[in-house]
Amino acid sequence: MSQAVQGFGLGLRTDHYSDFVAAPQRVDWLEIISENYLVDGGKPLHFLDLIRRDYPMAMHGVSLSIGSTDPLDSDYLRQLKALVARVEPAWVSDHLCWTGTDSLNLHDLLPLPYSEATLRHLVPRVAQVQDLLGCPFLLENVSSYVSYRADEMSEWEFIGELVARTGCQLLLDVNNIYVSSVNHGFDPQVFIDAIPAAAVRQIHLAGHEDHGDYIIDTHDHPICDAVWDLYAYSVRRFGAVPTMIERDDHIPPLGELIAELDAVRVVAERVVAEQRQAA
Amino acid sequence: MKATGELQRRFQHAILTEDFAPGLFVAEGREIAGGLGLYLMAYRARLLSALRDNFPVLHRALGDEAFAELARDYIDAHPSRFRSIRWFGDELTAFLDAPPERLPHPALADVARMDWAIRSAFDAAGAAPLTLSDLAALAPERWPQRRFALLPSLRLVDLDWAVEPIWRVLNEDAAAETEAPDPLAHVLLVWRPELECLWRSAGPVEAIALRTLAQGARFAECCTAIAETGEPDPATTAAGLLQRWVIDGLLVKNQAENG
Repeated sequence: MSQAVQGFGLGLRTDHYSDFVAAPQRVDWLEIISENYLVDGGKPLHFLDLIRRDYPMAMHGVSLSIGSTDPLDSDYLRQLKALVARVEPAWVSDHLCWTGTDSLNLHDLLPLPYSEATLRHLVPRVAQVQDLLGCPFLLENVSSYVSYRADEMSEWEFIGELVARTGCQLLLDVNNIYVSSVNHGFDPQVFIDAIPAAAVRQIHLAGHEDHGDYIIDTHDHPICDAVWDLYAYSVRRFGAVPTMIERDDHIPPLGELIAELDAVRVVAERVVAEQRQAA
Repeated sequence: MKATGELQRRFQHAILTEDFAPGLFVAEGREIAGGLGLYLMAYRARLLSALRDNFPVLHRALGDEAFAELARDYIDAHPSRFRSIRWFGDELTAFLDAPPERLPHPALADVARMDWAIRSAFDAAGAAPLTLSDLAALAPERWPQRRFALLPSLRLVDLDWAVEPIWRVLNEDAAAETEAPDPLAHVLLVWRPELECLWRSAGPVEAIALRTLAQGARFAECCTAIAETGEPDPATTAAGLLQRWVIDGLLVKNQAENG
């Protein structure tokens, strides 16, 4: 049943279950939040199975905590693997972050120190997850609001080095790059230029809140102009890799999100056409 | 990795205790204070939101401010150990039962129990329910030895107050006026036969009978438990309860009945 994920997708949210069941929607694929379906039954799994029949899916987790100094949670991984068997996703992704230590979960995507020690910590853990899942494993760059004194390199150098050492693939969140670039004062194009293009398998787009001093990755607004520009820049560099919109709060009617997704298609197709012309 | 472990413990401690972590972060203008502050704020906001989702009627009964105050105490006392935030709040009813008194009326603890039972039945495992025709196909002489299995989503919740009417009204209308409930020790049944959760109260004899079945007892032992309550005609009572459980969808087909 596992079908290729390509084109333009959305994050599946409960608000839109009935729309996806009622009629075909102009959405090429769907991403599910893995944790929402690590349950025994009821509506979540009922609708997941129904909608999965009609849409290829990718699984996206929020609590693997790949960078925590706690051991990887074997119970969580076992449940995740069972969900992989049920959904047969094109790939599984989670975040390049830590979510807690000493067995606690802060339910946040906390940045890692970008250091050689962190890289050495991550390499065997990424391999452990890759071996266990038996399907492609992607890591996503997070947005961040602090920088550590322990940092030894930039985030993009860190990601490039992790890809080189583990062969992991990337879910590039263009909104997160933009959010962090504003909060930390770097050039987002430098970030994108440094990412190993062959590793980028999926792109996330989302909106955020602008608080002046800093911007927050809230996923509750439409995509902003700067992120649209950065997406076009990303397509020039990576090609039209599968792209989706994440909306987690103030969720609009599905039609509004599909209209926004149509605009994503237009940007990607325009960039690809320009590149063809130039060639 | 010792240094990273120490960094994570200090950052986590800063979030949990809302205290700053000097020396951990690079000062980038105003970013350092605002940046760490964002993590502190987001942590509590996210867990408060999870508690609101899991205890929707308690939230309505208390109102935003009192619920947020209760949530804050709980979040500080019980940091999450769950992979999925969906389970956060599993100890709230025990937290409410322990001193000090945190609620304006003790019946609200029962409202919390009802919220949690319905939330936990919502995504519990499903199973094909035993039907009246399945029961009709079972020869009456085989009933005594039969172990009737209960629906995996069935919850038997001990309540001290008659909170169901308040729960129903507030669930339908957040702004509804309600009066304090009467004391009434009883058992609430919550279950999910298909996709929607159902609930009703159970009398003491029915509750004892269901708890006997929940322990894996044969129907004959269930009848004995009913007789021990002093019921004048335990066999008729047991047969009546069995029929009601089947109509309500509380029992599960066995393998043979699944075909």
